[in-house]
Amino acid sequence: MGGPALFGVRHLSPAAAFHLRRALDQAQPALVLVEGPSDLNDQMQWLCHPETRFPAAILAYTQTPPVRTLLYPLAVYSPEVQAILWAHEHGVPCRFMDLPSSVFLALSPEEDPSAPGGDDGPQDGAERTTESVYRRLETLTGEDHDTFWERRFEQLEGDYASAANTFGRELRAASLDSPRHQAETLVREAYMKRVIAQAISSGVPAERIFCVCGAFHVAGLEENAPMTDEEAAALPRADAAATLMPYSYYRLSSRSGYGAGNKAPAYFELLWEALHGGGPGETPYLYLTRLAAAHRKAGNLTSSAEVIEAARLAQTLAALRGSRYPTLRDLRDASVSTMGHGAFSELALAAADTEIGKTIGFLPEGVSRTSVQEDFYRQLKALRLEKFRAAELQRLDLDLREKLNVKSQLAALADLRRSFFLHRLRVLNIHFASLLPSRQEGANWGEYWDLRWTPEVEIEIVESALLGDTIEGAAAYALKERAEESTSIAQAAAIFEDAFLCGMPAAAQHALAVLQGLSVDAAALADVAETAHRLSYVVRFGDLRRFDAAPVEPLIRQLYLRACLTLADACICDVKAAPAVTLAMDRLNTLQLNHTFLEGDRWLSLLAELSDRDDLNTRCSGFAMAILLERGEVDEELLAREVARRLSPGVPAELGAGWFEGLAGKNRYALIARLSLWRHLDGYLSGLDEAAFRRALVFLRRAFADFSPKEKNDIAENLGEIWGVNPQQAAESLMTDLTAGEQELLSGLDEFDFDNI
Amino acid sequence: MSDKNVQRLPAEELFQRELDALIAAETDPIPTGWRMSPRSVLTYITGGAQVKGVDITPKYMGNRRLVEIAIATLVTDRALLLIGEPGTAKSWLSEHLCAAVNGDSTKVVQGTAGTTEEQIRYSWNYAMLIAKGPCPEAMVKSPVYRAMETGSVARLEEISRCASEVQDALISILSEKRLSVPELGLEVPAQKGFSVIATANTRDKGVNDMSAALKRRFNIVILPTPSDLETELEIVRTRVEQLSTGLDLNASQPEGDTVEQVVTIFRELRAGATLDGKQKLKATSGVLSTAEAISLLANSMALAGSFGDGRITPADLAAALQGAVVKDEDKDKVYWKEYLENVMKKRGSAWLPLYRACRELNG
Repeated sequence: MGGPALFGVRHLSPAAAFHLRRALDQAQPALVLVEGPSDLNDQMQWLCHPETRFPAAILAYTQTPPVRTLLYPLAVYSPEVQAILWAHEHGVPCRFMDLPSSVFLALSPEEDPSAPGGDDGPQDGAERTTESVYRRLETLTGEDHDTFWERRFEQLEGDYASAANTFGRELRAASLDSPRHQAETLVREAYMKRVIAQAISSGVPAERIFCVCGAFHVAGLEENAPMTDEEAAALPRADAAATLMPYSYYRLSSRSGYGAGNKAPAYFELLWEALHGGGPGETPYLYLTRLAAAHRKAGNLTSSAEVIEAARLAQTLAALRGSRYPTLRDLRDASVSTMGHGAFSELALAAADTEIGKTIGFLPEGVSRTSVQEDFYRQLKALRLEKFRAAELQRLDLDLREKLNVKSQLAALADLRRSFFLHRLRVLNIHFASLLPSRQEGANWGEYWDLRWTPEVEIEIVESALLGDTIEGAAAYALKERAEESTSIAQAAAIFEDAFLCGMPAAAQHALAVLQGLSVDAAALADVAETAHRLSYVVRFGDLRRFDAAPVEPLIRQLYLRACLTLADACICDVKAAPAVTLAMDRLNTLQLNHTFLEGDRWLSLLAELSDRDDLNTRCSGFAMAILLERGEVDEELLAREVARRLSPGVPAELGAGWFEGLAGKNRYALIARLSLWRHLDGYLSGLDEAAFRRALVFLRRAFADFSPKEKNDIAENLGEIWGVNPQQAAESLMTDLTAGEQELLSGLDEFDFDNI
Repeated sequence: MSDKNVQRLPAEELFQRELDALIAAETDPIPTGWRMSPRSVLTYITGGAQVKGVDITPKYMGNRRLVEIAIATLVTDRALLLIGEPGTAKSWLSEHLCAAVNGDSTKVVQGTAGTTEEQIRYSWNYAMLIAKGPCPEAMVKSPVYRAMETGSVARLEEISRCASEVQDALISILSEKRLSVPELGLEVPAQKGFSVIATANTRDKGVNDMSAALKRRFNIVILPTPSDLETELEIVRTRVEQLSTGLDLNASQPEGDTVEQVVTIFRELRAGATLDGKQKLKATSGVLSTAEAISLLANSMALAGSFGDGRITPADLAAALQGAVVKDEDKDKVYWKEYLENVMKKRGSAWLPLYRACRELNG
């Protein structure tokens, strides 16, 4: 009947794209149909836009959660792209003919969402069916499938179309398919056939229609009947939207599987260039010179002689395999032998650069974007962050303080607004920027970010379209959702802090309300202290972020009070829990010092009580003493009395040593400076009997474990003074390594039964 | 022509039937100076084919691609440098490549600390030199010299053991492809087909590291240790069979279990982890190459054949293992004992006899 021309291609194949264009030139069709979701025809105009730079991808996604996405990556050497471009250049109408993306999304609910496009998309028909055939081919040829394809098809100079069609036909005959996939293939082919039939009935002569589809589908399109209206109406549909997004070669290469990506996009672009230049024979030279250049750039020596030798070796390797031109594998192996001294690791960096490349696509402004995308790009521009939209990792240092030497208010707080923006992205799980730990203790005005643009970021932005129409709106929604789900005050406090960092008072207010509600219920001391600590941060530095902290103060007061009331009970605990309690005490102390609106008297008298009581964990008592000491609330006499009381003979060794451990937990210089203290300790230790000494030793070792050498040295001096020993000698014996005998004694302690303590 | 009593026949005589069959069946173009096409060389080395009714046995088992690169290097008249751990079949591969390409694998210079420049270029028969003065008859040509004259491949074993001035003597030969004999006013040009296959040992790295200038003249192929247990088992089994027939050991072939146990122990101690990767081990100081596993088994067969009933007993094996594993007395012995207790003992009944025998040796 002289039906439509069917041109079978391999997706992302330069040779296919090249020969396809030639075939189109020859056929001069009146309509070009391309395998691709037929509801996305309006994306084509952007693909043809003069400012568009490939790689790009069409992203289709469901508009209701859970978000499922479908990805159609397109490179400049994709046959589909070239078909569309050809039609555009020649003023020929061009349409997609595959199942609409809404149907695809509805058909594949149980696909692994982490691999969108990997198995879906217009390509998947060939993916699993051919896998086993590919494996068999690999055993037969002894080469992986990509190399096989490159040798047999990419280098083909004759009748590409019939070769590819034959391959597809044979593949189809040989393939063993899961029924589900077979069915899907049939449905798709019937749909494509239906689109073709519709085109014919609309008046386009059948022989002037040119169809571009996977080689696998050629036979199906020839044999199968078109889908009927009822069948078409019965197809499931998901509520879907689509957008174009820039893609990267890196991302393209990290996707395995037929059609979804290829391992060496930059190399394939070389192939594509070579086809338009001197023919496929030129690729080796292009590849090897670029590889050598990249290798040199990475700081290595590569002579031209080595490049020449690599080219010769690659040619010979290709000849051994019976192909005219070297494939990527030949080229790479040859370069490893000549330039890489036999080890691929030497060349890995340069090879990644040459084979994968850093190319990132670009789309002109105005491309149909989701409103969140629009907002993102608008803000990127307004905040002058556009240069960070690059594949390399870049550092951004922000100074949140108001700059006084600029004219407008907007410019004075530019960095602050950037910080808000980046924090909002962080809240939305958009991995564009990652916050680095502060480099300077206490410098709250400095923020350090690492920024890197990846195509994933684009996808994540699109996904956040579900939450709101702007970045701020989406972030607010995300925070609100998280706040409502939070069950502990620590969680709620974290959300409040996020809202604060994002500069979103309303969301912060909401989180605060949740926090307050949760704090009414009993909460552990550690949680309360931690939360108060976080809130305190906001109150102290809220100014920096133009945040009105007034509503936070009552809550801090509340938490402080609660902590004060529960602290004494919390101090009745075992050894394991004590560090958490002392940490909370330290936090509360800082809190009280930082905020004058918290009553200091209450805190000090509480500490005095803790330090005085005998029924608490002695470590906590010791720590309370340490705080009082630091705040100058203890006079020499009181300290001496306490030391004598706590470290008197008769008090169990572990209690005394535990108390000292608590005391040493803070402000060590104040301790070291007090000679009387060490005299007491010395007297105490020498008064212990053998068994008690052993027990005390365990605690004391722990107490002194994190003293610095300098501090130990100072202690040695003190002891030297007490014992009348030369301080240097004492220090020396403290610093030297243990002798074998001492080691033995210490390992004897391994048998020590800690359970009784 | 081959003498049955020669201890070790060169490859070209040992596999003469295969070589002849391949030459007779040749259909592809043959490079100048070669006896067969590169593809036939590949078939000869990797085996697994039947040519004119002759089975071609695999000579090098492992990465076929590496063999391809090696052959392609020789086609481009570049020199080939094979690098690898001891016992990764570097010399073996170089010998067979020469046998297939030229039918002559005997043009060898063994690199040692005592190798002199003369051994790479030429030296003189001093009696004749004194009697007749410098003349072509008084010259003693080195294997490399002869290879240049005949357009064939010379072999240079353990090049990194040679002093660097000796290595440098190669540079002019490899880049100019000529050798000058000033005493005779002679310039010997290399005939087409001339090339050099050198081998170097990674364990010798740094002893006499090759200069960049020399390295640049080689295409370098790194031969790995066998990638998995199956490949190594296959290699060991095949080679032990070949060896034992050649050496008339009067012992039956080791059982599959025995070979597997030896190879497993070697692989595990080499990698410093059990095969399943679940347990870390201490790697011993010895190399524990595939070649060593082969000679260990042959050794045990010799023991069994000469002093036992011809079957390898666990005691034979244990003694041989002890010798192979424990090289640096103190440390290795400790590691070996740990291995016995922590790994071997828990492997079940198949390993029990060997474990007991090893245990006995180590008290």
